[in-house]
Amino acid sequence: MDLSYGPRYEDFRAEVKSFLADNADRAPRMTMRVVEHSQAVVDWQKTLIEAGYAARTIPREYGGYGAEPDLLETMIIAEEFSAVRVSQGAAGQGISMLVPTLLEYGSEKQKRRYVPPTVNAELLWCQGYSEPGSGSDLASLSTRAELDGDQWVINGHKIWTSTAVEAGMMFILVRTEPEASKHRGISYLLVDMDTPGIEIRPLRMMTGSSDFNEVFLEDVRVPRENLVGERGQGWQIGKTTLVHERNFLGSSALTEGLLAACRKTLGAVTDEQNGGNLVHGDRLMQLEARALAMKYHGLRMLTDRLKGRNPGAAGLITKLNGCQLNNDICSLAIDGLADYGILYRGSPHAVDDGAWQKQYMFQLGMIIGGGTAQIQKNIISERGLGMPREPRATTGS
Amino acid sequence: MDFGLSPEQELLRDSLRGWLADELSIERVRETLDNDDAGVASRAAGDASAMQGLAEQGVLGVMLPEEHGGAGLGLLDAVVVATEMGRALTTVSYHSACVTAPLLLAGAGSAEQKSRWLPGVSSGKLLLSFAVGELGERDGALTGELRFVPDTATADAFVVVSGNGSAARAWLVERDAAGLEARDYQNIDTTRQLGELQLSDTPAEALAESDDLAGLVARVNDAARVVLAADSFGACERALEEAIEYAGVREQFGRVVASFQAVKHMCAETFAELEPLRSLGWYAAFAWDEQRDDAARTVALLKAHSAEVSTRSVMATTQVYGGMGFTWECNQQLWFKRVGYNRQALGGPVAERARALSL
Repeated sequence: MDLSYGPRYEDFRAEVKSFLADNADRAPRMTMRVVEHSQAVVDWQKTLIEAGYAARTIPREYGGYGAEPDLLETMIIAEEFSAVRVSQGAAGQGISMLVPTLLEYGSEKQKRRYVPPTVNAELLWCQGYSEPGSGSDLASLSTRAELDGDQWVINGHKIWTSTAVEAGMMFILVRTEPEASKHRGISYLLVDMDTPGIEIRPLRMMTGSSDFNEVFLEDVRVPRENLVGERGQGWQIGKTTLVHERNFLGSSALTEGLLAACRKTLGAVTDEQNGGNLVHGDRLMQLEARALAMKYHGLRMLTDRLKGRNPGAAGLITKLNGCQLNNDICSLAIDGLADYGILYRGSPHAVDDGAWQKQYMFQLGMIIGGGTAQIQKNIISERGLGMPREPRATTGS
Repeated sequence: MDFGLSPEQELLRDSLRGWLADELSIERVRETLDNDDAGVASRAAGDASAMQGLAEQGVLGVMLPEEHGGAGLGLLDAVVVATEMGRALTTVSYHSACVTAPLLLAGAGSAEQKSRWLPGVSSGKLLLSFAVGELGERDGALTGELRFVPDTATADAFVVVSGNGSAARAWLVERDAAGLEARDYQNIDTTRQLGELQLSDTPAEALAESDDLAGLVARVNDAARVVLAADSFGACERALEEAIEYAGVREQFGRVVASFQAVKHMCAETFAELEPLRSLGWYAAFAWDEQRDDAARTVALLKAHSAEVSTRSVMATTQVYGGMGFTWECNQQLWFKRVGYNRQALGGPVAERARALSL
């Protein structure tokens, strides 16, 4: 057991700290929105890439900084930025999911055309995976694309599409080989959102905001060259990117921030109203223990990755545990607010304009999104613990 | 950055696991328990050949100084040992016999006391126990009652502590001391024995003065808490492995019960709680070894979290067996009770969280 980073990494940490001390005031304000698209974001992204703190391992010819991948450097950057609550630059599904996918499966032409504007935060993407009839059973998706000359013609209906309104492009899973088995009949296409035949209808979430949408596609024509990888390879490609998403959901940096805020909220309430409420203290300690366990579990998983070891089933639990923990922290903060916990946006006495209530609901969405908790348990038990799959239901009599 | 066990610690884990399976199997543990009508077994703690075997594996003196026959290793190494003992249901009160009692002796005992007792702990020839209570002292003799004392039936001597803060005092009381009465009672865990001591003007040998005896007691108790948490983790880890195996062969409704989501999800939830607990246990041991600032608070949170998680864990894995889970024959009951002991000993979850709040 050795939790030191060594002199080379401590030097690197000092560089990051010094960059932040000099530049943090130029960063755009952190918001809860997944994607904030503004000139300030684009400018900040440019500054970060030049300094090597965003798009760090993306090759220079594709608009990145071009450093060798190094997990500890990545972690130190995240730790230092989060410590001073400064944005680590543009986020969103283009950067987190599409770019790694294109770098692995895309043609040279696709990489040169799409990766630079995406990492620069000039081009936003949305993800076209889920459909009304294909949620947990994503591979049953029925949006189809047929080749007509040099164009794919897409017809179908996607749902839960975050940032569809703001996005310039969509990466989409479509059925191109209806005769093949359900997993082998899917392809991965890139679609310009300005193409005729696309209609976006915002979906209002339980929080009251409309951060995701339904996307209807009717005879949407995209160039043949917008196919990523091979025909029928889409499921394999899409699955790789979902792994990136699950590792991101439930990470312990967010948990630590929420826990600190919760402690502050309880402290304020306790002083004014409760005079030291041990019931809340007990729950706070329960949550802190769970958060600590996940923090050190994260270090254990990091060590496995550094050593090139497969963590096995232990690597599959982050999303399940982390998202539930975040939701539970919000729930305690709201209980601490007592009657004030009922108040939501715009109410004159609402604490932080109902930020806890919004976060509480948002974190419920995180438990469901990116593969529900129940699907995560199937993955853990089947892939991790080697338990048999549920037999398929027989249809008909 | 290297969060985890060293190659030497992994070797210790693997060799001990193999040795326990061969020499102190659950079948052998069960023979002792099943033949024990009074509920007070002739456990390994009183079984010279088992203790000698454990000594030869080098696990009894893991944390003791090398000059007294120990291995001079740390709490993380003891965690490796305790995890295996929890898995195998080893009938030793490791937290007291190999942690609190000898460590307090090593920290506050005289040179003579240390050389008299510690080599015997490492070699398995002497069994120490540990107790804290309110005792009166008169002319080097102690009077009072001590509760929750491990191995009252078999210990050769008891390290006892009375008083708080600067008033804390510690003594060594030998088994055959005049006026010492040991009472054995059943406790929930049939694999480890626990009882009470009545001292009536009992001659005791004071441990040499320590600058901060209360601090030392707190520190060795923290080590024992980490060891108890590791024991529970090991118990739950093996209980889950066996439950998954059973679910893979037990058939109902024409298929193995492991294929039902209701069963799978119970196992997945248990696994998802146990793995971070393992990581937290390793960190707590490391923090204790390195005397980090967050060590005491982390230990309190670990002890509380371990109690909650391991209780849920054995509740779930026992239920995987259906009616079989409630029988004496099923091994789950043994881990269930082992965890029940570890949960209460040295602070239950609510008390430990209250302690964490104050640290």
